[in-house]
Amino acid sequence: MSEKELLKGNIAIAKAALNCGCTCYFGYPITPQTEIGEYLSQKMQEKNLAYVCAESEIAAINMALGAASTGAKVMTSSSSCAVSLMQEAISYACSDELPIVVVNVMRAGPGQGYIFPSQGDYNQATIGGGNGDYHTIVLSPSNVQECIDLTYKAFHLAQKYRNPVILLADGLLGQMAEPAELTENPYPQIDNSSWRLDGANSRPSRNIHSLEPNQTKLNQHIINLYKKYELIEQNECDYEEYLCQDAQVIFVAFGSLSRHVKSVCNHYRKNGIKAGLFRPKSLYPFPYKKLNELSRKTPIFIDVEMNMGQMLKDIRLAILSNAKISFIGKPTGNWLREEEIINAADNIIKEYYASI
Amino acid sequence: MQVYSAPKAIKENSDFTFCPGCDHGIAIKIIAHLIDELNLKENTVAIASSGCSVFLYNFLDIDCLESPHGRACAVATGVKRAHKAQGNNKFVFTYQGDGDFASIGLAESMHSALRGENITAICINNTNYGMTGGQLGPTTAMGQVTTTSQNGRNKEYHGFPIRTAEQIALCEGTSFSARVALYDIKNIINAKNIIKKAFEYQNQGLGFSFVEILSSCPTNWKLSPKDSHEKIKNELTQIFPLGIFKDIKND
Repeated sequence: MSEKELLKGNIAIAKAALNCGCTCYFGYPITPQTEIGEYLSQKMQEKNLAYVCAESEIAAINMALGAASTGAKVMTSSSSCAVSLMQEAISYACSDELPIVVVNVMRAGPGQGYIFPSQGDYNQATIGGGNGDYHTIVLSPSNVQECIDLTYKAFHLAQKYRNPVILLADGLLGQMAEPAELTENPYPQIDNSSWRLDGANSRPSRNIHSLEPNQTKLNQHIINLYKKYELIEQNECDYEEYLCQDAQVIFVAFGSLSRHVKSVCNHYRKNGIKAGLFRPKSLYPFPYKKLNELSRKTPIFIDVEMNMGQMLKDIRLAILSNAKISFIGKPTGNWLREEEIINAADNIIKEYYASI
Repeated sequence: MQVYSAPKAIKENSDFTFCPGCDHGIAIKIIAHLIDELNLKENTVAIASSGCSVFLYNFLDIDCLESPHGRACAVATGVKRAHKAQGNNKFVFTYQGDGDFASIGLAESMHSALRGENITAICINNTNYGMTGGQLGPTTAMGQVTTTSQNGRNKEYHGFPIRTAEQIALCEGTSFSARVALYDIKNIINAKNIIKKAFEYQNQGLGFSFVEILSSCPTNWKLSPKDSHEKIKNELTQIFPLGIFKDIKND
């Protein structure tokens, strides 16, 4: 049993990856996630595992694609504008049904933006920035301990569903240090002997490809992918509810920003307003059903994000039409402080009660 | 006495889907013969690319992975290294066109050579983008007419073509780089020996090995198969000379 140690989010992700059997890492430097590659470059070499400082993020994700075809546990990491470069191969990996863990430690965009933390890639991750009908599983850690826990889970879900999984962290989480425990990986090993490419030895040859010139077969392939996504939506919704059961107002926030929002809830509770926090940990699949249930009792929802409201559409889809939904946020820079959120939320709550 | 049989590494009942007179068929058959001869079938993962070359897996009875356009050498790097990390030495080769290897994928190709990645890349050079109907590519010759250079390639407007095998030969991690053609029996036999050498160099762990194959594209060149081979023999070999440009054992 290991003990808690002071860990940076980026290092926690790297350590967790190694700890659960990741044997291949391919990457290219970009702030604010470079420590992941720095750490793994050394460790992979020590252990005779695969590390390549790739010539680009395009090369890195394609190396990951190749490595994943062998059944290996594979990871690449990058940040926002460079994750954009990976979208083509992510679309391929979804069609090829190859398990790859892609870590995005978000910075500000659009374009180069800057290295300020941001949550601006919610849409890119959850809707997908590549072509065609596909989904990637998206997990959102809020603290360094979850950087470890959700890295384990990302590898597990990638193997279980043979699908890329995006670990959507942010620059603040990647760069901050707090105590966390490198626990044991709780997930079982998944047998991949039925599909991996390791040479046609005593079995028929296999091929993995997305190209399909027969339209009936291509249609069926995509329909099959969507049957898998349906299973993922049924089984893998993950969320945290904080004081939601009796709440008059529910804040919805994901990632590290949700921790400020938790403090905001405590403030309101002390002042007699029953506030709660709903935090999706899986952004795809989004926990629509649970939010819908909560909207049967709670009349006000406030979405708090470090972007221009990218999660709003998912919350709107989830909640009943008579529930009120508002947004507090800004695109980048210092995380919204507790007081800033409270000032904005006070007005929303006052307006609501004045209107009924 | 049986004097000929199809290579075992060719899938049974696979229909020839390339255009009449296209050299892809000969190239793939040479590779299949070598997989048999070098006993590679059970230990190989091949990387198909985008363009006409993607259909490799329809013909070869070995494990194949398709790559996004241009990324075959990066994908091959991942396959090779992932197996190595698991303690296995697999034979990994790419099969690409000139557009895939030397245009959209030049960075991935050249960096694989610079790293001395222990893989083999086979590049079919037919001097145009074949699958999309014959557009100007990185290897289109000066003066050559394509659908996007209808007055012929000229240096002021289109710039110069790349001599891929010579460029790859300049990379320190390259063990072997050569250019061959398939326009007659003598050249086909030579091509087989050259590709065999490239394969053996990978088996010996010597680094990146590369063979560029000058190939006919009768449909897009608007020539008969016979005239296409005459064009390769008389014109293209003047621009893209045949030969070995790097051999780590002789340098």
